[in-house]
Amino acid sequence: MRNLLNFLARYSNLIIFLILEGIAFYLITNGNNYQSAKVVNGFRSLTLGIESRISNFRNYMNLREINKTLADENAVLRNNIQLQSIKDNSLFFSVSDSINKQQYYYTSAEVISNSINRQKNFFTISKGKRQGAEVDMAVTAGKSVAGVIVGCSENYSVVMSLLNLDFRLSAKIKTNGYFGSLSWNGLDNRHAILSEIPQHVDVNVGDTIETTGYSAIFPEGLEIGTVSEFEKKGGDFYHITILLATDFRNLHHVNIVGNMKKTEQLELEKQFQ
Amino acid sequence: MINSIIRYSLIFIILILLQIILFNNIQFSGYMNPYIYVMFILLLPIEIPSWLLLILSFFTGLIMDFFSGSPGMHTSATVLAGFSRPYVLRVTSPRDGYEPGSDPSMLIYGFKWFFLYSLIVVLIHHTALFYLEVFRLTDFFRTLLRVILSTLFSLTFILLIEYYRRGK
Repeated sequence: MRNLLNFLARYSNLIIFLILEGIAFYLITNGNNYQSAKVVNGFRSLTLGIESRISNFRNYMNLREINKTLADENAVLRNNIQLQSIKDNSLFFSVSDSINKQQYYYTSAEVISNSINRQKNFFTISKGKRQGAEVDMAVTAGKSVAGVIVGCSENYSVVMSLLNLDFRLSAKIKTNGYFGSLSWNGLDNRHAILSEIPQHVDVNVGDTIETTGYSAIFPEGLEIGTVSEFEKKGGDFYHITILLATDFRNLHHVNIVGNMKKTEQLELEKQFQ
Repeated sequence: MINSIIRYSLIFIILILLQIILFNNIQFSGYMNPYIYVMFILLLPIEIPSWLLLILSFFTGLIMDFFSGSPGMHTSATVLAGFSRPYVLRVTSPRDGYEPGSDPSMLIYGFKWFFLYSLIVVLIHHTALFYLEVFRLTDFFRTLLRVILSTLFSLTFILLIEYYRRGK
């Protein structure tokens, strides 16, 4: 017994150290992964007060630029409406079945806190369950991809940024429709990697890369970026570097995109898996 | 005793606030992320019992995790830094040993000693932190580069803060 006590006294620091590291590792392995951003959420809600204040201040400083992007977006949307109404008028009769036509619905949100310098970046936005946000909804910045919601609280959501090593997205080359898998390599916040494009495909610098819409999360045709360089690297596939269209350093207003037909698609697909 | 508790609480709050409000928002590039809050571990009295040091490290890390939304990473790295501090102190000990009851400050032991001491502890902390963040060994050397650059960046700020603290 005395030996045991001696042992404990002698190595007490080591034991405390191991216990504390054990707790820390428990937190890491149980809280850091893709699915359980709940912990992140719980942590975040404590600090959101301070962070929304900082972000308010930053928003104020950037008002001019934000106004400009919003105005640009409005212009594009107006054009779309014009096109849309022309198309409708060409029909002999009009169908007012909004459910069948509309697949995606959009709502805007503000970015409250954002990070770009980690390997697994998340940002927090100002809409949550109460405003209709759900896990696995897409988040876009203007017309380009920003991330996917991984956790919602009542009034806030945590979004896994495209700048996250765990982020995967199916993406295609706009001109020829070949699709591959997009991921971030952790290098810098302006570039991402598109892989699995076979080498017989014609790729050019400057080609637009957009979403495929296969995942039922992102609508088809959202801009991701442009090809900035590509190389043939072993195997049969290209290694394509993409200049992202979204500037994550300057992310203030985003849109949440919900897919009305998502459950339908997933249910159907599940039957064949 | 109470005096020093208040003093250290103050240092703690200032460092954490600096980290959250200022340094967490320095988005310079993915390669240089300063984490200066570890300075709190550096500044604790030399004769602090190891168990207390460990527990303080644990809570420092936990609070940083709270604020950066990353469960466990900072906690683990800071506990490791706290655990290694006594050994680092022993290794870097000046020839005459440490004065009883003194703080590990630049004022008492000089720039060179403080530089070496903080370099080792910050390096340990950052190494643990960045490898835990990536949580994989691919791109080993890139992470290593991030560790080294960030350590230098953090160390610069820590030395600056310590220098100004000395002035008071």
